[in-house]
Amino acid sequence: MVQLNTGVTLFLSLLVEAIPFLLIGVAFSSLLLFFVDERWLVGTLPKNAFAGALVGSLLGVFFPVCECGNVPVARRLLVQGAPTAVSVGFLLAAPTVNPVVFWATWVAFRGQPEMVFLRVGCTLLIATAVGWVFSVQSDIGPFLQETVARSRFQDRTPIKQKSKGATSNAQSVLLQGGTFLQGPGNEMLQLDTPAAQRLVANPIVSQSPKSKLQLMIENVVRELRELGAVLVFGSAIAATVQVAIPREVILGLGQGMVSSILAMMILAAVVSICSTVDSFFALSFASTFTSGSLLAFLIFGPMIDLKNIGLLLTVFKGRAVFYLFALASLMSFAAALAVNLYLG
Amino acid sequence: MRSPRKQPVGSTKAPKARFHLPWRDLLDVLALGAWSAMLFRYWFSGLLLLLLHPNYAWLSNSAAIVLAALAAYRLWQAFQSSKASRRRVNADKSSDNSGHVTLLPGNLSSAILLTVAVFGLIYTPQAFASQTATQRGIADTLTLTRAQPQRFARAAAPEDRTIIDWIRLINVYPEPDAYTDEAVDVEGFVIYPEGWPDGYLMLSRFVLTCCAADAYPVGLPVKLPEDSTVQQFPVDTWLSVSGRVATETLNGQRQIAIAPTEIQTIEAPKNPYEY
Repeated sequence: MVQLNTGVTLFLSLLVEAIPFLLIGVAFSSLLLFFVDERWLVGTLPKNAFAGALVGSLLGVFFPVCECGNVPVARRLLVQGAPTAVSVGFLLAAPTVNPVVFWATWVAFRGQPEMVFLRVGCTLLIATAVGWVFSVQSDIGPFLQETVARSRFQDRTPIKQKSKGATSNAQSVLLQGGTFLQGPGNEMLQLDTPAAQRLVANPIVSQSPKSKLQLMIENVVRELRELGAVLVFGSAIAATVQVAIPREVILGLGQGMVSSILAMMILAAVVSICSTVDSFFALSFASTFTSGSLLAFLIFGPMIDLKNIGLLLTVFKGRAVFYLFALASLMSFAAALAVNLYLG
Repeated sequence: MRSPRKQPVGSTKAPKARFHLPWRDLLDVLALGAWSAMLFRYWFSGLLLLLLHPNYAWLSNSAAIVLAALAAYRLWQAFQSSKASRRRVNADKSSDNSGHVTLLPGNLSSAILLTVAVFGLIYTPQAFASQTATQRGIADTLTLTRAQPQRFARAAAPEDRTIIDWIRLINVYPEPDAYTDEAVDVEGFVIYPEGWPDGYLMLSRFVLTCCAADAYPVGLPVKLPEDSTVQQFPVDTWLSVSGRVATETLNGQRQIAIAPTEIQTIEAPKNPYEY
């Protein structure tokens, strides 16, 4: 009975602490979705692969999205012709390297500030490295799902495309057939762009502010509903593990150099808790698990988890998702192990 | 939940055959409203202190207000849309299409949230007690608090120090003899740690840095007076103990212990944690 009470109190405490951050995160990502057009950004991105990966990883600072908001944004970046390095870097880092998550982690780990910096630092490192690796593939096309690949603005990337037959339209827009509208500035809007392209390329940005606000609130409620439910599950799992599993078992698992890291990474992948609130989840394990394993949870969870894999598969083909998963998990593991071994 | 189409036609208002309640929206309103109500309840009853560090109470309180506003907005919207239900259905279809992939069906999520919030409204959180302390390893943290203060101010008079002040002090300078005969006056709850000899109890408090999830126990040993029995101080009773510091060897470890001059049973404080 006491245990049940403890568990429930823990559960409620996690929820009450996490809900404000979830609200902030959801509000920001909705704001982004409806008020920012990524197209202006794509033009200013560095072409160099390493710089691109780094910049992409840092984009989260301006786009505070958690891991559910980042996949649609990364997809739009890809579709609008952002370099692969940037998009992949953004995909992996944005859920962690952003002010909301930084703040939440700071609140949670005020007693161990090094966790906050290690989390951000390692994520930056891993995301940049993976983004860099992916940029070796000069044409990301084969890695993408058909619909995404087809709707990319190929004309914006006049890189030497070993045209693989089909639709190599690397010309100026005006040299193609079709109906065009002169937009503000020199922007051309092709009226008969493929339907998929128009759908993915953030169609809402062009609506009136009032309807945008309405849609934004609608989106806030929808994401809140969905992520809130995942948060409820995550908190329930955390609370249950805390009170139901004997301390010896948890300690045995949580104090091992390697076993603790593996356990936390699996937990991160399964629980799928939103990155704005996962630090509170990790916090509830702080007394029993090694710092390295908590770090692994905090780095790896936002990059790859069950919920996320479903989202990733809407953009990338299975093979690419596997590469992402493999690289991210191995590097997170290495970072966590290094922390366990050298920082204690 | 039923989709609007399956709603039996004219169940509530027979003359308006097309009228139907926007169930989905109402469920949202209820879920948001219940969450807001739950947070308001913790705010005004002071129960929030059992769950959160007071520094972050404002976050939860603001969330309560924002959620209430969202609920009100959704209610207004649902009201509007029930007047023009046809247009609403269309609008729903178009807005559902912003590249969003869902893991759970929306109605199920709302139902889960609503259930949890209603539960939170009914349930009164309990402060952690000895059982949790043992689970979280009080012996491990006896001389090791997780907070590592960068600035260290020695609390002026020894009798003004709380348990956590004492533990921090000992953390910095562990030699027990340095504190011999200093006056102690602390409050906490009773634990009998495993492996300790009879006649000793641990007076403990939970320390919070963020929320109840990271509450960790700290404690000072108390050497019970000769004439008292363990039955006088059952586990989890709150005591106010004053006395002098002495050095004892417990579990093969020299450490400070309180040699009490006075032990009083007290009410559990409204805010049981220290920070």
